[in-house]
Amino acid sequence: MRRLNRRLLAVWAVLSAITVIYIWIDHSADHHGTAHASSAVTVIALLLAAVKVRIIMREFMEVRNAPILLCRLTDAWIAGMSAAMIGFYLAGRAVAT
Amino acid sequence: MTRRSLRDNPKRELWLAWGATVFFYNLYAVVFFLFTHIQPPGQPWYSPDQASTWFTEHHHGLGIGLALIFVFGGLSATSIALITYSIRRMSVSRAFSYSYLIIYSVSAVPGFLFICVALTAGIMRPERSPQLQHWLYQLGFLSFSGTMGVFLIGSLIWMCAILLDGNRVFPKWFGYLNLCNALTEVVVSPSWIFKTGVFPWNGLIAWWIDVVIFGIYTGVFITLLRSMIIREDFGTGPLPAVPAWRFWQSPVETAP
Amino acid sequence: MTVAEVSTPPCRTRQVPGQPDMWFFVLFESLIFTSYFCVYLYYRAQHEAAYLAAQSQLTLWLGVVETIVLLTSSWSIARCVEQSRNGRYDVARRDAFLTAGFGVIFLILKVVEWVRQIHLGNTFSSGDFFQYYFFLTAIHLVHLLIGFVVVGVAIHQLSSPRRRSQELVETCATYWHTVDFLWVLIFALLYVVR
Repeated sequence: MRRLNRRLLAVWAVLSAITVIYIWIDHSADHHGTAHASSAVTVIALLLAAVKVRIIMREFMEVRNAPILLCRLTDAWIAGMSAAMIGFYLAGRAVAT
Repeated sequence: MTRRSLRDNPKRELWLAWGATVFFYNLYAVVFFLFTHIQPPGQPWYSPDQASTWFTEHHHGLGIGLALIFVFGGLSATSIALITYSIRRMSVSRAFSYSYLIIYSVSAVPGFLFICVALTAGIMRPERSPQLQHWLYQLGFLSFSGTMGVFLIGSLIWMCAILLDGNRVFPKWFGYLNLCNALTEVVVSPSWIFKTGVFPWNGLIAWWIDVVIFGIYTGVFITLLRSMIIREDFGTGPLPAVPAWRFWQSPVETAP
Repeated sequence: MTVAEVSTPPCRTRQVPGQPDMWFFVLFESLIFTSYFCVYLYYRAQHEAAYLAAQSQLTLWLGVVETIVLLTSSWSIARCVEQSRNGRYDVARRDAFLTAGFGVIFLILKVVEWVRQIHLGNTFSSGDFFQYYFFLTAIHLVHLLIGFVVVGVAIHQLSSPRRRSQELVETCATYWHTVDFLWVLIFALLYVVR
Protein backbone atom coordinates (compact mmCIF):
# COMPACT_ATOMS: atom_id res chain seq x y z
CA MET A 1 0.00 0.00 0.00
CA ARG A 2 2.85 2.36 0.85
CA ARG A 3 4.48 1.38 -2.45
CA LEU A 4 1.32 2.35 -4.28
CA ASN A 5 1.11 5.65 -2.44
CA ARG A 6 4.71 6.39 -3.47
CA ARG A 7 3.89 5.37 -7.01
CA LEU A 8 0.89 7.72 -7.13
CA LEU A 9 3.02 10.56 -5.78
CA ALA A 10 5.71 9.86 -8.38
CA VAL A 11 3.07 9.90 -11.12
CA TRP A 12 1.77 13.24 -9.83
CA ALA A 13 5.32 14.62 -9.85
CA VAL A 14 5.94 13.49 -13.43
CA LEU A 15 2.64 14.96 -14.64
CA SER A 16 3.33 18.25 -12.87
CA ALA A 17 6.84 18.38 -14.31
CA ILE A 18 5.50 17.89 -17.86
CA THR A 19 3.02 20.70 -17.16
CA VAL A 20 5.84 23.02 -16.11
CA ILE A 21 7.79 22.07 -19.26
CA TYR A 22 5.00 23.79 -21.18
CA ILE A 23 6.22 27.12 -19.77
CA TRP A 24 9.64 26.50 -21.28
CA ILE A 25 8.06 25.48 -24.61
CA ASP A 26 5.91 28.60 -24.52
CA HIS A 27 8.92 30.89 -23.95
CA SER A 28 11.10 29.21 -26.52
CA ALA A 29 8.32 29.47 -29.12
CA ASP A 30 8.39 33.26 -28.97
CA HIS A 31 11.04 35.22 -30.81
CA HIS A 32 12.09 38.24 -28.76
CA GLY A 33 8.82 38.29 -26.90
CA THR A 34 6.51 38.18 -29.92
CA ALA A 35 4.42 35.13 -30.53
CA HIS A 36 4.83 33.18 -33.74
CA ALA A 37 2.75 30.43 -35.20
CA SER A 38 4.59 27.15 -35.22
CA SER A 39 3.33 23.76 -36.21
CA ALA A 40 6.30 22.18 -34.39
CA VAL A 41 5.23 23.75 -31.09
CA THR A 42 1.61 22.77 -31.71
CA VAL A 43 2.41 19.16 -32.49
CA ILE A 44 4.79 18.85 -29.53
CA ALA A 45 2.22 20.44 -27.20
CA LEU A 46 -0.46 18.02 -28.39
CA LEU A 47 1.82 14.99 -28.13
CA LEU A 48 2.88 15.96 -24.61
CA ALA A 49 -0.79 16.33 -23.70
CA ALA A 50 -1.44 12.87 -25.13
CA VAL A 51 1.40 11.45 -23.05
CA LYS A 52 -0.08 13.05 -19.92
CA VAL A 53 -3.53 11.67 -20.74
CA ARG A 54 -2.04 8.18 -21.17
CA ILE A 55 -0.23 8.43 -17.83
CA ILE A 56 -3.45 9.59 -16.14
CA MET A 57 -5.35 6.70 -17.68
CA ARG A 58 -2.78 4.01 -16.94
CA GLU A 59 -1.82 5.12 -13.43
CA PHE A 60 -4.62 7.17 -11.89
CA MET A 61 -7.47 5.42 -13.68
CA GLU A 62 -5.79 2.02 -13.10
CA VAL A 63 -5.97 0.90 -16.72
CA ARG A 64 -2.57 -0.71 -15.99
CA ASN A 65 -4.42 -3.37 -13.97
CA ALA A 66 -7.41 -3.56 -16.25
CA PRO A 67 -8.22 -6.25 -18.81
CA ILE A 68 -6.01 -6.09 -21.89
CA LEU A 69 -8.98 -5.02 -24.04
CA LEU A 70 -9.38 -1.80 -22.04
CA CYS A 71 -5.62 -1.15 -22.20
CA ARG A 72 -5.65 -1.50 -25.99
CA LEU A 73 -8.89 0.46 -26.34
CA THR A 74 -7.67 3.45 -24.31
CA ASP A 75 -4.34 3.45 -26.13
CA ALA A 76 -6.17 3.37 -29.46
CA TRP A 77 -8.44 6.19 -28.28
CA ILE A 78 -5.49 8.39 -27.30
CA ALA A 79 -3.70 7.63 -30.56
CA GLY A 80 -6.86 8.36 -32.53
CA MET A 81 -7.58 11.61 -30.69
CA SER A 82 -4.01 12.84 -31.18
CA ALA A 83 -3.97 11.87 -34.84
CA ALA A 84 -7.32 13.61 -35.43
CA MET A 85 -6.26 16.83 -33.71
CA ILE A 86 -2.88 17.00 -35.44
CA GLY A 87 -4.51 16.03 -38.72
CA PHE A 88 -7.13 18.76 -38.57
CA TYR A 89 -4.53 21.32 -37.55
CA LEU A 90 -2.31 20.44 -40.49
CA ALA A 91 -5.32 20.34 -42.82
CA GLY A 92 -6.30 23.81 -41.65
CA ARG A 93 -2.80 25.05 -42.37
CA ALA A 94 -2.89 23.49 -45.81
CA VAL A 95 -6.26 25.13 -46.58
CA ALA A 96 -4.98 28.50 -45.39
CA THR A 97 -2.03 28.58 -47.82
CA MET B 1 -46.61 -24.24 -27.05
CA THR B 2 -49.27 -21.89 -28.33
CA ARG B 3 -48.52 -19.01 -30.61
CA ARG B 4 -50.32 -15.89 -29.49
CA SER B 5 -51.82 -13.63 -32.10
CA LEU B 6 -51.31 -9.89 -31.84
CA ARG B 7 -54.93 -9.59 -30.69
CA ASP B 8 -54.27 -11.54 -27.49
CA ASN B 9 -50.77 -10.23 -26.91
CA PRO B 10 -50.62 -8.37 -23.60
CA LYS B 11 -47.82 -6.25 -25.01
CA ARG B 12 -49.97 -5.19 -27.96
CA GLU B 13 -50.32 -1.59 -26.84
CA LEU B 14 -46.63 -1.30 -26.06
CA TRP B 15 -45.71 -2.53 -29.53
CA LEU B 16 -48.21 -0.14 -31.12
CA ALA B 17 -46.69 2.74 -29.20
CA TRP B 18 -43.18 1.66 -30.20
CA GLY B 19 -44.22 1.33 -33.84
CA ALA B 20 -45.75 4.80 -33.72
CA THR B 21 -42.51 6.14 -32.22
CA VAL B 22 -40.45 4.64 -35.04
CA PHE B 23 -42.91 6.01 -37.62
CA PHE B 24 -42.84 9.48 -36.03
CA TYR B 25 -39.04 9.78 -35.95
CA ASN B 26 -38.75 8.58 -39.53
CA LEU B 27 -41.43 11.06 -40.60
CA TYR B 28 -39.65 13.83 -38.69
CA ALA B 29 -36.35 13.02 -40.39
CA VAL B 30 -37.85 12.80 -43.89
CA VAL B 31 -39.97 15.95 -43.49
CA PHE B 32 -37.41 18.15 -41.75
CA PHE B 33 -34.37 17.07 -43.75
CA LEU B 34 -35.72 16.20 -47.19
CA PHE B 35 -39.12 17.83 -47.78
CA THR B 36 -38.88 21.14 -46.04
CA HIS B 37 -35.09 21.64 -45.73
CA ILE B 38 -35.65 23.02 -42.24
CA GLN B 39 -32.66 20.92 -41.29
CA PRO B 40 -29.87 21.81 -41.86
CA PRO B 41 -31.29 25.21 -40.87
CA GLY B 42 -31.32 28.27 -43.10
CA GLN B 43 -28.58 30.86 -42.72
CA PRO B 44 -28.86 32.96 -39.55
CA TRP B 45 -27.36 36.03 -41.18
CA TYR B 46 -30.06 36.41 -43.84
CA SER B 47 -31.44 39.89 -44.38
CA PRO B 48 -35.23 40.40 -44.47
CA ASP B 49 -35.24 40.11 -48.28
CA GLN B 50 -33.18 36.91 -48.20
CA ALA B 51 -35.49 35.43 -45.55
CA SER B 52 -38.49 36.25 -47.75
CA THR B 53 -36.79 34.58 -50.69
CA TRP B 54 -36.08 31.51 -48.53
CA PHE B 55 -39.80 31.17 -47.81
CA THR B 56 -40.62 31.52 -51.51
CA GLU B 57 -38.01 28.97 -52.56
CA HIS B 58 -39.17 26.42 -49.98
CA HIS B 59 -42.87 27.15 -50.36
CA HIS B 60 -44.11 23.78 -51.59
CA GLY B 61 -41.76 21.65 -49.50
CA LEU B 62 -42.70 23.55 -46.35
CA GLY B 63 -46.39 23.42 -47.19
CA ILE B 64 -46.61 19.67 -47.76
CA GLY B 65 -44.07 18.69 -45.13
CA LEU B 66 -45.47 20.80 -42.33
CA ALA B 67 -49.01 19.71 -43.20
CA LEU B 68 -47.86 16.13 -42.63
CA ILE B 69 -46.30 17.17 -39.34
CA PHE B 70 -49.50 18.87 -38.20
CA VAL B 71 -51.45 15.68 -38.99
CA PHE B 72 -49.01 13.11 -37.58
CA GLY B 73 -46.96 15.20 -35.15
CA GLY B 74 -49.10 14.10 -32.23
CA LEU B 75 -47.48 10.69 -32.54
CA SER B 76 -44.47 12.19 -30.77
CA ALA B 77 -46.58 11.66 -27.66
CA THR B 78 -46.10 7.89 -28.00
CA SER B 79 -42.35 8.31 -27.61
CA ILE B 80 -42.81 10.37 -24.45
CA ALA B 81 -45.43 7.94 -23.15
CA LEU B 82 -43.26 4.89 -23.72
CA ILE B 83 -40.28 6.48 -21.97
CA THR B 84 -42.56 7.51 -19.10
CA TYR B 85 -43.77 3.90 -18.96
CA SER B 86 -40.16 2.71 -18.81
CA ILE B 87 -39.43 5.04 -15.88
CA ARG B 88 -42.54 3.79 -14.08
CA ARG B 89 -41.30 0.23 -14.52
CA MET B 90 -38.13 1.21 -12.65
CA SER B 91 -37.72 0.85 -8.90
CA VAL B 92 -37.47 4.64 -8.45
CA SER B 93 -40.24 6.93 -7.27
CA ARG B 94 -43.06 7.66 -9.71
CA ALA B 95 -42.19 11.33 -9.33
CA PHE B 96 -39.46 10.74 -11.91
CA SER B 97 -41.89 9.45 -14.53
CA TYR B 98 -44.44 12.22 -13.91
CA SER B 99 -41.74 14.91 -14.04
CA TYR B 100 -40.37 13.51 -17.29
CA LEU B 101 -43.86 13.31 -18.80
CA ILE B 102 -44.69 16.91 -17.94
CA ILE B 103 -41.35 18.35 -19.01
CA TYR B 104 -41.19 16.61 -22.36
CA SER B 105 -44.84 17.32 -23.13
CA VAL B 106 -44.18 21.00 -22.48
CA SER B 107 -40.94 20.94 -24.45
CA ALA B 108 -42.77 19.84 -27.61
CA VAL B 109 -44.31 23.31 -27.83
CA PRO B 110 -41.21 25.51 -28.11
CA GLY B 111 -38.93 22.78 -29.36
CA PHE B 112 -41.10 21.42 -32.14
CA LEU B 113 -44.44 23.14 -32.74
CA PHE B 114 -43.24 26.75 -32.71
CA ILE B 115 -41.05 26.30 -35.78
CA CYS B 116 -43.84 24.48 -37.63
CA VAL B 117 -46.33 27.25 -36.88
CA ALA B 118 -43.90 30.10 -37.58
CA LEU B 119 -42.68 28.71 -40.91
CA THR B 120 -46.21 27.77 -42.05
CA ALA B 121 -47.34 31.32 -41.27
CA GLY B 122 -44.35 32.51 -43.28
CA ILE B 123 -45.31 30.67 -46.46
CA MET B 124 -49.06 31.26 -46.23
CA ARG B 125 -48.94 35.07 -46.65
CA PRO B 126 -46.03 35.72 -49.04
CA GLU B 127 -47.28 39.28 -49.58
CA ARG B 128 -46.27 40.17 -46.01
CA SER B 129 -43.47 42.67 -45.53
CA PRO B 130 -39.94 41.20 -45.59
CA GLN B 131 -39.40 42.47 -42.04
CA LEU B 132 -42.30 40.35 -40.77
CA GLN B 133 -41.15 37.35 -42.80
CA HIS B 134 -37.67 37.80 -41.32
CA TRP B 135 -39.19 37.87 -37.83
CA LEU B 136 -41.06 34.61 -38.46
CA TYR B 137 -37.90 33.05 -39.91
CA GLN B 138 -35.85 33.96 -36.83
CA LEU B 139 -38.63 33.04 -34.41
CA GLY B 140 -38.89 29.61 -35.98
CA PHE B 141 -35.21 28.72 -35.97
CA LEU B 142 -34.32 30.36 -32.65
CA SER B 143 -37.19 28.66 -30.85
CA PHE B 144 -36.18 25.30 -32.33
CA SER B 145 -32.49 25.55 -31.35
CA GLY B 146 -32.52 27.83 -28.39
CA THR B 147 -35.10 26.27 -26.08
CA MET B 148 -33.13 23.23 -25.11
CA GLY B 149 -33.34 23.88 -21.39
CA VAL B 150 -36.44 21.72 -20.99
CA PHE B 151 -34.88 18.86 -22.96
CA LEU B 152 -31.78 19.21 -20.79
CA ILE B 153 -33.74 18.80 -17.57
CA GLY B 154 -35.78 15.97 -19.07
CA SER B 155 -32.63 14.07 -20.07
CA LEU B 156 -31.19 14.55 -16.59
CA ILE B 157 -34.40 13.22 -15.00
CA TRP B 158 -34.23 10.10 -17.17
CA MET B 159 -30.51 9.76 -16.41
CA CYS B 160 -31.04 9.94 -12.63
CA ALA B 161 -33.88 7.44 -12.83
CA ILE B 162 -31.74 4.97 -14.81
CA LEU B 163 -28.74 5.30 -12.51
CA LEU B 164 -30.87 4.83 -9.38
CA ASP B 165 -32.97 2.03 -10.86
CA GLY B 166 -32.65 -1.44 -9.37
CA ASN B 167 -34.90 -3.14 -11.93
CA ARG B 168 -32.34 -3.09 -14.74
CA VAL B 169 -34.80 -1.54 -17.18
CA PHE B 170 -31.96 0.15 -19.04
CA PRO B 171 -28.21 -0.44 -18.89
CA LYS B 172 -26.25 2.11 -16.89
CA TRP B 173 -24.25 3.19 -19.93
CA PHE B 174 -27.46 4.52 -21.41
CA GLY B 175 -27.91 6.63 -18.28
CA TYR B 176 -24.52 8.16 -18.99
CA LEU B 177 -25.46 8.63 -22.66
CA ASN B 178 -28.36 10.74 -21.39
CA LEU B 179 -25.74 12.97 -19.76
CA CYS B 180 -23.90 13.31 -23.08
CA ASN B 181 -27.21 14.25 -24.75
CA ALA B 182 -28.06 16.70 -21.96
CA LEU B 183 -24.72 18.44 -22.41
CA THR B 184 -25.41 18.96 -26.13
CA GLU B 185 -28.44 20.99 -25.05
CA VAL B 186 -26.03 23.32 -23.27
CA VAL B 187 -23.70 23.49 -26.28
CA VAL B 188 -26.48 24.74 -28.57
CA SER B 189 -27.32 27.76 -26.39
CA PRO B 190 -24.76 30.15 -28.00
CA SER B 191 -26.99 30.04 -31.11
CA TRP B 192 -28.88 32.97 -29.54
CA ILE B 193 -25.79 35.15 -29.86
CA PHE B 194 -23.99 34.21 -33.06
CA LYS B 195 -24.96 34.49 -36.72
CA THR B 196 -21.69 33.23 -38.17
CA GLY B 197 -18.94 30.84 -37.16
CA VAL B 198 -19.39 27.49 -35.41
CA PHE B 199 -22.03 28.52 -32.85
CA PRO B 200 -25.06 29.86 -34.78
CA TRP B 201 -28.15 27.71 -35.16
CA ASN B 202 -26.58 26.00 -38.20
CA GLY B 203 -23.01 26.02 -36.91
CA LEU B 204 -20.54 23.14 -36.99
CA ILE B 205 -20.51 22.78 -33.20
CA ALA B 206 -23.99 24.03 -32.28
CA TRP B 207 -25.80 22.06 -34.98
CA TRP B 208 -23.81 19.47 -36.96
CA ILE B 209 -21.98 17.78 -34.09
CA ASP B 210 -25.05 18.07 -31.86
CA VAL B 211 -27.29 16.45 -34.48
CA VAL B 212 -24.89 13.50 -34.82
CA ILE B 213 -25.02 12.94 -31.04
CA PHE B 214 -28.80 13.38 -30.98
CA GLY B 215 -29.18 10.93 -33.88
CA ILE B 216 -27.08 8.30 -32.07
CA TYR B 217 -29.00 8.92 -28.84
CA THR B 218 -32.40 8.58 -30.55
CA GLY B 219 -31.40 5.40 -32.37
CA VAL B 220 -30.09 3.92 -29.14
CA PHE B 221 -33.16 4.71 -27.02
CA ILE B 222 -35.58 3.41 -29.65
CA THR B 223 -33.56 0.16 -29.70
CA LEU B 224 -33.45 -0.05 -25.90
CA LEU B 225 -37.21 0.58 -25.66
CA ARG B 226 -37.70 -2.41 -27.95
CA SER B 227 -35.47 -4.49 -25.70
CA MET B 228 -37.49 -3.35 -22.68
CA ILE B 229 -40.77 -4.38 -24.27
CA ILE B 230 -39.37 -7.81 -25.17
CA ARG B 231 -38.20 -8.29 -21.56
CA GLU B 232 -41.31 -6.82 -19.92
CA ASP B 233 -42.94 -9.23 -17.49
CA PHE B 234 -45.52 -6.77 -16.07
CA GLY B 235 -44.11 -7.26 -12.59
CA THR B 236 -42.45 -4.79 -10.27
CA GLY B 237 -39.09 -6.49 -9.84
CA PRO B 238 -35.98 -6.56 -12.00
CA LEU B 239 -36.59 -7.21 -15.66
CA PRO B 240 -35.20 -10.52 -16.87
CA ALA B 241 -32.19 -10.48 -19.13
CA VAL B 242 -32.88 -11.68 -22.65
CA PRO B 243 -30.54 -13.65 -24.91
CA ALA B 244 -29.29 -11.60 -27.86
CA TRP B 245 -31.02 -13.75 -30.48
CA ARG B 246 -34.43 -12.89 -29.04
CA PHE B 247 -33.76 -9.24 -29.78
CA TRP B 248 -34.75 -9.86 -33.37
CA GLN B 249 -38.03 -11.46 -32.34
CA SER B 250 -41.23 -10.13 -33.90
CA PRO B 251 -43.94 -8.69 -31.64
CA VAL B 252 -45.81 -12.01 -31.84
CA GLU B 253 -44.78 -13.93 -28.75
CA THR B 254 -44.52 -17.57 -28.10
CA ALA B 255 -45.78 -18.71 -24.73
CA PRO B 256 -45.30 -22.05 -23.00
CA MET C 1 3.76 -25.73 -5.10
CA THR C 2 5.53 -25.93 -8.41
CA VAL C 3 8.70 -24.02 -9.22
CA ALA C 4 6.68 -21.65 -11.41
CA GLU C 5 4.29 -20.82 -8.57
CA VAL C 6 7.16 -20.10 -6.18
CA SER C 7 9.11 -17.89 -8.59
CA THR C 8 6.27 -15.77 -10.03
CA PRO C 9 4.62 -13.40 -7.57
CA PRO C 10 0.80 -13.52 -7.46
CA CYS C 11 -0.57 -10.90 -9.81
CA ARG C 12 -3.78 -9.00 -9.20
CA THR C 13 -6.73 -10.23 -11.23
CA ARG C 14 -7.31 -7.80 -14.07
CA GLN C 15 -10.57 -6.00 -13.44
CA VAL C 16 -12.23 -3.06 -15.13
CA PRO C 17 -11.88 -0.10 -12.73
CA GLY C 18 -15.42 0.83 -11.71
CA GLN C 19 -18.46 0.19 -13.90
CA PRO C 20 -17.64 -0.62 -17.52
CA ASP C 21 -20.61 1.65 -18.31
CA MET C 22 -18.68 4.66 -17.03
CA TRP C 23 -15.83 3.78 -19.38
CA PHE C 24 -18.34 3.93 -22.25
CA PHE C 25 -19.16 7.47 -21.11
CA VAL C 26 -15.47 8.39 -20.79
CA LEU C 27 -14.66 7.23 -24.31
CA PHE C 28 -17.82 8.68 -25.91
CA GLU C 29 -17.39 12.06 -24.19
CA SER C 30 -13.72 12.12 -25.22
CA LEU C 31 -14.85 11.66 -28.82
CA ILE C 32 -17.24 14.59 -28.52
CA PHE C 33 -14.56 16.82 -27.01
CA THR C 34 -12.09 15.70 -29.67
CA SER C 35 -14.55 16.87 -32.33
CA TYR C 36 -14.64 20.31 -30.65
CA PHE C 37 -10.83 20.35 -30.44
CA CYS C 38 -10.50 19.42 -34.12
CA VAL C 39 -12.89 22.23 -35.15
CA TYR C 40 -10.89 24.70 -33.03
CA LEU C 41 -7.53 23.60 -34.44
CA TYR C 42 -8.82 23.57 -38.04
CA TYR C 43 -10.06 27.16 -37.85
CA ARG C 44 -7.15 28.32 -35.73
CA ALA C 45 -4.67 27.12 -38.34
CA GLN C 46 -6.41 29.33 -40.92
CA HIS C 47 -6.28 32.53 -38.87
CA GLU C 48 -3.05 32.14 -36.94
CA ALA C 49 -2.21 35.80 -36.48
CA ALA C 50 -5.57 36.75 -35.01
CA TYR C 51 -5.62 33.74 -32.68
CA LEU C 52 -2.04 34.41 -31.55
CA ALA C 53 -2.80 38.02 -30.76
CA ALA C 54 -5.82 37.03 -28.69
CA GLN C 55 -4.03 34.10 -27.03
CA SER C 56 -1.24 36.38 -25.81
CA GLN C 57 -3.76 37.92 -23.41
CA LEU C 58 -4.04 34.64 -21.50
CA THR C 59 -1.87 34.09 -18.45
CA LEU C 60 0.09 30.90 -18.96
CA TRP C 61 1.22 30.49 -15.35
CA LEU C 62 -2.40 30.66 -14.20
CA GLY C 63 -3.21 27.83 -16.61
CA VAL C 64 -0.24 25.85 -15.28
CA VAL C 65 -1.41 26.34 -11.68
CA GLU C 66 -4.95 25.29 -12.62
CA THR C 67 -3.61 22.16 -14.33
CA ILE C 68 -1.49 21.21 -11.33
CA VAL C 69 -4.44 21.80 -8.98
CA LEU C 70 -6.59 19.44 -11.03
CA LEU C 71 -3.77 16.87 -11.30
CA THR C 72 -3.49 17.00 -7.51
CA SER C 73 -7.24 16.41 -7.20
CA SER C 74 -6.82 13.35 -9.45
CA TRP C 75 -4.02 12.15 -7.22
CA SER C 76 -6.16 12.51 -4.11
CA ILE C 77 -9.10 10.61 -5.56
CA ALA C 78 -6.76 7.87 -6.80
CA ARG C 79 -5.51 7.57 -3.22
CA CYS C 80 -9.11 7.56 -2.01
CA VAL C 81 -9.86 4.53 -4.20
CA GLU C 82 -6.83 2.70 -2.89
CA GLN C 83 -7.59 3.51 0.76
CA SER C 84 -11.16 2.35 0.26
CA ARG C 85 -9.94 -0.87 -1.34
CA ASN C 86 -7.87 -1.54 1.76
CA GLY C 87 -10.77 -0.89 4.10
CA ARG C 88 -9.51 2.45 5.42
CA TYR C 89 -12.78 4.24 4.80
CA ASP C 90 -12.21 7.28 7.02
CA VAL C 91 -8.95 8.10 5.27
CA ALA C 92 -10.67 7.50 1.93
CA ARG C 93 -13.43 9.95 2.88
CA ARG C 94 -10.84 12.52 3.81
CA ASP C 95 -9.16 12.07 0.43
CA ALA C 96 -12.50 12.46 -1.32
CA PHE C 97 -13.14 15.72 0.53
CA LEU C 98 -9.63 16.81 -0.44
CA THR C 99 -10.49 16.10 -4.09
CA ALA C 100 -13.58 18.28 -3.84
CA GLY C 101 -11.46 20.96 -2.16
CA PHE C 102 -8.98 21.03 -5.02
CA GLY C 103 -11.92 21.15 -7.40
CA VAL C 104 -13.21 24.23 -5.60
CA ILE C 105 -9.76 25.86 -5.89
CA PHE C 106 -9.80 25.19 -9.63
CA LEU C 107 -13.30 26.66 -9.86
CA ILE C 108 -12.21 29.83 -8.04
CA LEU C 109 -9.10 30.22 -10.21
CA LYS C 110 -11.19 29.74 -13.34
CA VAL C 111 -13.74 32.36 -12.31
CA VAL C 112 -10.92 34.78 -11.37
CA GLU C 113 -9.39 34.22 -14.80
CA TRP C 114 -12.70 34.80 -16.57
CA VAL C 115 -13.34 38.02 -14.65
CA ARG C 116 -9.83 39.18 -15.54
CA GLN C 117 -10.38 38.47 -19.24
CA ILE C 118 -13.74 40.22 -19.21
CA HIS C 119 -12.10 43.28 -17.62
CA LEU C 120 -9.55 43.21 -20.42
CA GLY C 121 -12.46 43.40 -22.83
CA ASN C 122 -12.39 39.76 -23.96
CA THR C 123 -15.84 38.21 -23.92
CA PHE C 124 -17.55 35.24 -25.56
CA SER C 125 -18.38 37.31 -28.62
CA SER C 126 -15.24 39.44 -28.89
CA GLY C 127 -13.45 37.28 -31.44
CA ASP C 128 -12.89 33.74 -32.64
CA PHE C 129 -10.21 32.73 -30.16
CA PHE C 130 -12.17 33.90 -27.11
CA GLN C 131 -15.30 32.21 -28.46
CA TYR C 132 -13.44 28.92 -28.23
CA TYR C 133 -11.75 29.87 -24.96
CA PHE C 134 -14.99 30.63 -23.13
CA PHE C 135 -16.82 27.73 -24.78
CA LEU C 136 -14.21 25.07 -23.94
CA THR C 137 -13.55 26.32 -20.42
CA ALA C 138 -17.28 26.70 -19.72
CA ILE C 139 -18.27 23.25 -20.97
CA HIS C 140 -15.35 21.83 -18.99
CA LEU C 141 -16.52 23.71 -15.91
CA VAL C 142 -19.99 22.18 -16.31
CA HIS C 143 -18.30 18.77 -16.22
CA LEU C 144 -16.42 19.86 -13.10
CA LEU C 145 -19.65 20.91 -11.38
CA ILE C 146 -21.14 17.51 -12.22
CA GLY C 147 -17.89 16.10 -10.78
CA PHE C 148 -18.75 17.65 -7.40
CA VAL C 149 -22.01 15.69 -7.41
CA VAL C 150 -20.11 12.55 -8.37
CA VAL C 151 -17.55 13.00 -5.57
CA GLY C 152 -20.51 13.60 -3.26
CA VAL C 153 -21.86 10.19 -4.29
CA ALA C 154 -18.47 8.64 -3.47
CA ILE C 155 -18.41 10.32 -0.05
CA HIS C 156 -21.98 9.16 0.55
CA GLN C 157 -20.95 5.61 -0.28
CA LEU C 158 -17.90 5.73 1.98
CA SER C 159 -19.83 7.22 4.90
CA SER C 160 -21.92 4.19 5.74
CA PRO C 161 -20.92 0.52 6.10
CA ARG C 162 -24.28 -0.49 4.60
CA ARG C 163 -23.74 1.40 1.40
CA ARG C 164 -20.08 0.92 0.62
CA SER C 165 -19.56 -0.21 -2.94
CA GLN C 166 -15.98 -0.27 -4.13
CA GLU C 167 -17.24 -0.42 -7.72
CA LEU C 168 -19.21 2.80 -7.26
CA VAL C 169 -16.28 4.60 -5.63
CA GLU C 170 -14.05 3.55 -8.54
CA THR C 171 -16.74 4.67 -11.00
CA CYS C 172 -16.86 8.11 -9.39
CA ALA C 173 -13.06 8.32 -9.51
CA THR C 174 -13.08 7.39 -13.21
CA TYR C 175 -15.43 10.29 -13.91
CA TRP C 176 -13.25 12.72 -11.95
CA HIS C 177 -10.10 11.62 -13.80
CA THR C 178 -11.95 12.30 -17.06
CA VAL C 179 -12.57 15.89 -15.97
CA ASP C 180 -8.83 16.10 -15.26
CA PHE C 181 -7.55 14.69 -18.54
CA LEU C 182 -10.00 16.76 -20.56
CA TRP C 183 -8.53 19.85 -18.88
CA VAL C 184 -5.00 18.64 -19.71
CA LEU C 185 -6.00 18.68 -23.39
CA ILE C 186 -7.88 22.00 -23.17
CA PHE C 187 -4.93 23.64 -21.41
CA ALA C 188 -2.54 22.56 -24.16
CA LEU C 189 -4.94 23.75 -26.87
CA LEU C 190 -5.77 27.16 -25.44
CA TYR C 191 -2.58 28.20 -23.66
CA VAL C 192 0.31 26.55 -25.47
CA VAL C 193 -0.61 25.62 -29.03
CA ARG C 194 0.78 28.08 -31.56
